[in-house]
Amino acid sequence: MNHPYLNLLRRLWRVEIFSPAGFVQRALVISAGFLLVHLAGWREYTSVLNGTVGPDSTGWAGSTFFGVAYVLIYLAFVILVPVLLLAAALLAAWQRLISTRCWPRK
Amino acid sequence: MKSRLNQIVPGLAALVLALVFWLPCLHLLFARPVTNFFAPAGVSPKARALAVRQMHLWTDPQLRQAELVRMRVSNAEWDFMGRSYLVWSLANLGLRDPAMKPACLQTMDRIIDETLQLEKQNGMDFFLMPYAQDRSYVVQPSRSLFLDGEIAFMLASRRVLEEKSEYKPLLAERINLIIQGWQRSPQMALESYPDECWTFDHVIALAAIRTSDYLDGGDHTQLIHDWVTMARQKLVDPVSGLLISSYTLDDSPLIGPEGSSLWMIAHALQWVDQDFARDQYNRARRELGATTLGFSYAREWPDSWPGPADIDSGPIIPGFKISAGSSGMAFIGASAFGDAPFLAMLNSTIDFSGFPSRKQGGLKYCASNQVGDAALLYAATLGPVLQKVIAGHHP
Repeated sequence: MNHPYLNLLRRLWRVEIFSPAGFVQRALVISAGFLLVHLAGWREYTSVLNGTVGPDSTGWAGSTFFGVAYVLIYLAFVILVPVLLLAAALLAAWQRLISTRCWPRK
Repeated sequence: MKSRLNQIVPGLAALVLALVFWLPCLHLLFARPVTNFFAPAGVSPKARALAVRQMHLWTDPQLRQAELVRMRVSNAEWDFMGRSYLVWSLANLGLRDPAMKPACLQTMDRIIDETLQLEKQNGMDFFLMPYAQDRSYVVQPSRSLFLDGEIAFMLASRRVLEEKSEYKPLLAERINLIIQGWQRSPQMALESYPDECWTFDHVIALAAIRTSDYLDGGDHTQLIHDWVTMARQKLVDPVSGLLISSYTLDDSPLIGPEGSSLWMIAHALQWVDQDFARDQYNRARRELGATTLGFSYAREWPDSWPGPADIDSGPIIPGFKISAGSSGMAFIGASAFGDAPFLAMLNSTIDFSGFPSRKQGGLKYCASNQVGDAALLYAATLGPVLQKVIAGHHP
């Protein structure tokens, strides 16, 4: 299996976590997760936050699972994704600064 | 090992810096001018969108049924209160925008007629929580002030928007029942549940009586004055100065001051005693209102009278003690008392954490339900009915 997209995914997966690419990778994964649960309509189940069961006949257990999962992924999307992207930019700038300063000694 | 540390330390430092920068900025994504929620005149964009969705529920029986079933699984009261808040909202909306008046009247009449029919057909227990049937009401024949007060205020609000002769005797009947009950009770207390009297229901009844006086030329000034005097003496928590929520027929406290009741209590008091109303709002704001990182919210219990999470408060988020029920009702207090900064930051909070969903010009909050959205609509439209009644120009 040498599909170009799979290769890209493999390369992304192997990226060091504490690197600009690693942060961007995590931000993309969270965003994709949020997009999935949003398109799946799990937002409707957040009614469990006020004690109201979700739509259709999912019941309390299902509603709570979908609702809480949506809230957690949403919070990750609005808080962690911007933080990861900002951190990636900061880290990239820091690394560029360091490499520029170190270059003459090399 | 050293090179790994050289990677991790700057990475962690970047994450911490980014977090410290982002958290205080997050609210800016959701910040809107207060007029987005509440317009001093006319109809705000959010009020219009909420109204579109709420009125759509009353033209689509299947959608309405689905919403009601979901709420009734938890609390039959929500079905009833969703009707009340919507009728009260539409009275204000119709006064704010005359072009919407015909549609408002049509929806109000549909709600009132169906509510009265359901009450007649199934008895008052239909709109009460099951524990109402666990024991007998002390005062017989049994009546619930929860239903009588809110139905009276629905009928009165409808008649303020436009007179409807069929509703005049229905309003008079409810008002007379309430007044006779108070006159028979030494404590001026009426049950909503067996030996359980709610301050919320009493102040809604007061607002209904005051509006009925405005409509039909009655004068219950002395009765209203007596109730307010009694409440100041017997229903105020001595530590916080806030009105308690519920008590027995002999004035023994049951539940202390709670946010899910207090914000509306303060607003309803505006019908009968502006100073007491303002005092209660200011105290509630101080004891229960809070703001963190640009997001405002409300707690259910003051520090002086802690209590548990219940069906009214909704789940309480530990640490911050955020209550969904109290935070939703805080919109009513903030709108009623012109607390623009608090209202604007509550508006940011609901757009951040209420999961708005917009369809066909309508707006609902997924983390809320029909009654929650109807209470928000009331907060976004309140004012014109109160102003007419206070001004006292007989129609």
